[in-house]
Amino acid sequence: MADKRSALATNMRQNVAFYSAIAMLVALYLVYNMLHPRGFSAAVLIQNSNESVAIVFLAMAQTVPVLLGGLDLSVGAIMTLANCIASEVVNGSPLQIVLGMIITLATGTAFGLVNGLIVVYGRLQPIIATLATGAVAVGLALFIRPVPGGNVDDDISWALTNDLYEFVDTYGLFDADAGWFQTISWIPVPLLIVVMIAFGVWLPFKRTVTGRTIYAIGSAEGAAYMSGLPIDRAKIAAFTLAGFFAACGGLYLAIQTSSGNADITQAGAYTLNSIAAVVVGGTSLLGGVGGAIGSLVGALILRVISFYFRIVSIDPLLQPLVEGLVLLVAVSLGAFRTLRVKNQLNLFR
Amino acid sequence: MKLGTLISTAVVGLMLSTSLSLAGPEIVSGPGVDPACFAPWNADTKYMQWPTKAGPYKVAVVNGFVGNGWRIQMIKTAKAFAEDPAMKDKIAEFKVVSTGTDAPAQLGAIEDFINQGYDAIVTIAVSPDGFDRVIRLADKNNVVLVPFDNVLDTDKVMQVNEDQLKMGRMWAQFALDELKAKGVTSGKILEVRGLPGNSVDRDRSIGINETFKADGGNWEMVSVVGNWDDGTTQKVVADAIAVHGQFDAVVGQGGSNGVIQALMDAGHPWVPVAGESENGYRKAIAKYSDEGLKGISIGQSPGLVAIAMKAAVSALEGNVMPQLISVPLPVATYKDLEDGKNYWSDLPDNFFTVNEFPPCGVNISGPSIMAQSEADVK
Repeated sequence: MADKRSALATNMRQNVAFYSAIAMLVALYLVYNMLHPRGFSAAVLIQNSNESVAIVFLAMAQTVPVLLGGLDLSVGAIMTLANCIASEVVNGSPLQIVLGMIITLATGTAFGLVNGLIVVYGRLQPIIATLATGAVAVGLALFIRPVPGGNVDDDISWALTNDLYEFVDTYGLFDADAGWFQTISWIPVPLLIVVMIAFGVWLPFKRTVTGRTIYAIGSAEGAAYMSGLPIDRAKIAAFTLAGFFAACGGLYLAIQTSSGNADITQAGAYTLNSIAAVVVGGTSLLGGVGGAIGSLVGALILRVISFYFRIVSIDPLLQPLVEGLVLLVAVSLGAFRTLRVKNQLNLFR
Repeated sequence: MKLGTLISTAVVGLMLSTSLSLAGPEIVSGPGVDPACFAPWNADTKYMQWPTKAGPYKVAVVNGFVGNGWRIQMIKTAKAFAEDPAMKDKIAEFKVVSTGTDAPAQLGAIEDFINQGYDAIVTIAVSPDGFDRVIRLADKNNVVLVPFDNVLDTDKVMQVNEDQLKMGRMWAQFALDELKAKGVTSGKILEVRGLPGNSVDRDRSIGINETFKADGGNWEMVSVVGNWDDGTTQKVVADAIAVHGQFDAVVGQGGSNGVIQALMDAGHPWVPVAGESENGYRKAIAKYSDEGLKGISIGQSPGLVAIAMKAAVSALEGNVMPQLISVPLPVATYKDLEDGKNYWSDLPDNFFTVNEFPPCGVNISGPSIMAQSEADVK
């Protein structure tokens, strides 16, 4: 028992940035709901989760290359590309819809794979390689969808952006009014999707040798190499996974808006915000420390900060300034420990 | 939160959401209220009527991109108009947010205001598509959603705009007429486009290009993207001049100060120029029109936000409204520029000269709005 407690304490100490991010998110979100005229209602939760899905996926995408000590500047572009592809293929019969989703996700994943291959075999810095491939992805997106529009199946877009009740009801899976179902029918589908991907893809991956190698490369690439870890495989896997997560974001964006839009400025904004979310979530830009779940929390913090502008009266032209200041505080919270210690190695004790 | 409350909230929410009697506007026959201000787009425009709500109302403006002079002037105009004696008593709460070019954030903000119980939401859409869900929710909750400027490709909401297609055609026609007056019937035309991906840029460009095509002369169109921003426009126009040497006319959607600056820097001879309504651009036309800078200035007014707000309130009061409201194009050519009236030689270059619409009781002029400090309009 004592062992367990000290293990937990060590865990807390080593992941202070992650836990302080969670504490901050909980505090921010509670206050938001208290101030909101319809706080703590299913409608608010659905709206909040809908708005957050795309940035959460991008933050998770960005995390993997950052853990290597690199940066992926193409995540926003891959999201945009997936968004445009989905607007072409996610409609028709249920089978076609599922096939369309698979095509969308596969394209993003393949794009990530290409990133990884270029970084490993082209021996380019990730930041430069992905800057270039990002431009390629946006170019392809514009080619596929020169003007915004397209068509995503109405039912799927309604069912996946609402609570479980609407999901079951839209597809008539079973009687949505059944008594047992009512305890969970309020859960927003977007929330479930994020949780399923985060815990179903990221956590198992992290525990594999490849996943561990990503952390090892970020901490000390030389040592990882000397230990005989599969460096190349891990790097390729990291960028491939980033491509997959970014494609998830793009697919959801298409479902949410029932359309595609090759919006270059939006792609850029999402890439930058994904880096911010990663840092706020406790992942070090130097690599080796952190994780996608932390970035999920970081992305939510970014979103909740902007929620406040809708319920608190802040001058509209001052809002970006306030957002920047809060972000600075959020990033600094995680860095406090680094400022206190004399030797950074102490952080790992 | 207790599970019980949660469940009951969810159940109530579900009962609301499953009632199939979709509320929202009814399609009625015209004519609408106050046609001098709320002019229908054309003869086919439908009319809409919402159930009357008792005021005062909660009104929100959900802006997307912020960071150019036009948007800042728009936000200032919105705030000033909310304080206007004609509107002040009708508005209980007024909020402005900018979400950046981020579709989920903008959709989220609109949905949030619907959840908060706002009565009307005025917005500049970041994309002409993708608003189906919020339109559905707004209708369900009898919230009046009014996109303006960058409008949506749908006829399910009331929208306010100037006719962008017509604006593009007028620009091109002006350039053609001036060129013909000079005896030029073929040559190179530089088209400067705006922010890619939204409906305003698309429609203006269509208008410009189809007019030149219809003319029959041998016109070679060169397109560059200036994002409606002076700095970007100056750079891309300078690049285009460096590559192509000389143009016979420049038709720009915006960032007109940049067009003028690039022409001057390159020592390019003055040619017919079409552009927006920036004060600096109008100053330049007035100064150089004798030397050949035959210019036309048509403005997309930041004051559109005030008309959209007024339309929203009018709809809440139960009036019959056109689905698509057309605001007349404020046109000025080099022939009718007058200092102190439609441009101001003693004021800075970077504000938009057209802001007021007297038929609508929107009397906030460009100089007055830009002269106000933030403290004044709070």
